[in-house]
Amino acid sequence: MLRDLCIILVLTATGIVYSLIAGLSPLPWAEPVLEAGEIHLAEAQALKVIWVDVRAIEEFEKCHLPDALLFNEDDWDQGLFELMNVWLVQPRPIVVYCGSESCDTSQRIAERLRGSLPNAEIYRLKGGWDAWQE
Amino acid sequence: MAGISPRIRSTALPAYLLLVGRLVLSAAFIMAALPKIQDPVAFGVSVEAYRVITGKLAIWIALALPWLELVTGFGLLIPQIRRGSALIIVLLLILFISLHGSAWARGLDINCGCFSVHASDKAPDYLWLILRNVGLLAACFCVLIRDWQNSEQGTLREGASTS
Repeated sequence: MLRDLCIILVLTATGIVYSLIAGLSPLPWAEPVLEAGEIHLAEAQALKVIWVDVRAIEEFEKCHLPDALLFNEDDWDQGLFELMNVWLVQPRPIVVYCGSESCDTSQRIAERLRGSLPNAEIYRLKGGWDAWQE
Repeated sequence: MAGISPRIRSTALPAYLLLVGRLVLSAAFIMAALPKIQDPVAFGVSVEAYRVITGKLAIWIALALPWLELVTGFGLLIPQIRRGSALIIVLLLILFISLHGSAWARGLDINCGCFSVHASDKAPDYLWLILRNVGLLAACFCVLIRDWQNSEQGTLREGASTS
């Protein structure tokens, strides 16, 4: 039985190597270009999205993306109300951004918004505010 | 039939059915594996849709599982690795039944990723999926038990001939 399992394991591993060499599969250890629910800046701009800024108010007042809405997680109902007012007038994809690639706020708020607005198309901006700066 | 001994007649039908069962199981696993090998990325989406594993582990599963299905599917027809293949298929079918049951209980509307990796417009029929896998599991148990019996008989015959 052990010999059977070893043969099966070797054949399966050979198949996996073939898939990787033939380019059928992306390399599992490579960094994913885009995680699920993320969008690149260029694509978001092409879609004329509703920008939702979840950075601190000081950073927002200093500079923000054109027509971006300030969304304070601590005042969820107010933020959601303002967002819905914009979205209901003209439904468009919603893109949430925070300071940089490493911040989790946009991911967390995008998740919550998907629950509150199940019919809306909601993304997180890849790279956050830093992507705009670049 | 007069020339066939009662012993052979009594075992001919089960042997024939076991061969059919083995061929059906083998075909099912090979047919299930091929579209997934051709498009592991789409299969990865199906894997993630079960919301049990995500990220890189899902990619590894989407890469390895179809090859394991293909090897064990062919393995059922190769005497040298038949028992190992049947054992892995039993474990895989138990895993699939558990995953379908879990997705059904959570009310997930997903593509099962069984024989096609592309999304379907229809909602998954979990009862049918589970019953189909239970049927395949029963066939696989029969193959496995029969092979164990054959192996034990072979060992006994070898023991008798050496003594």
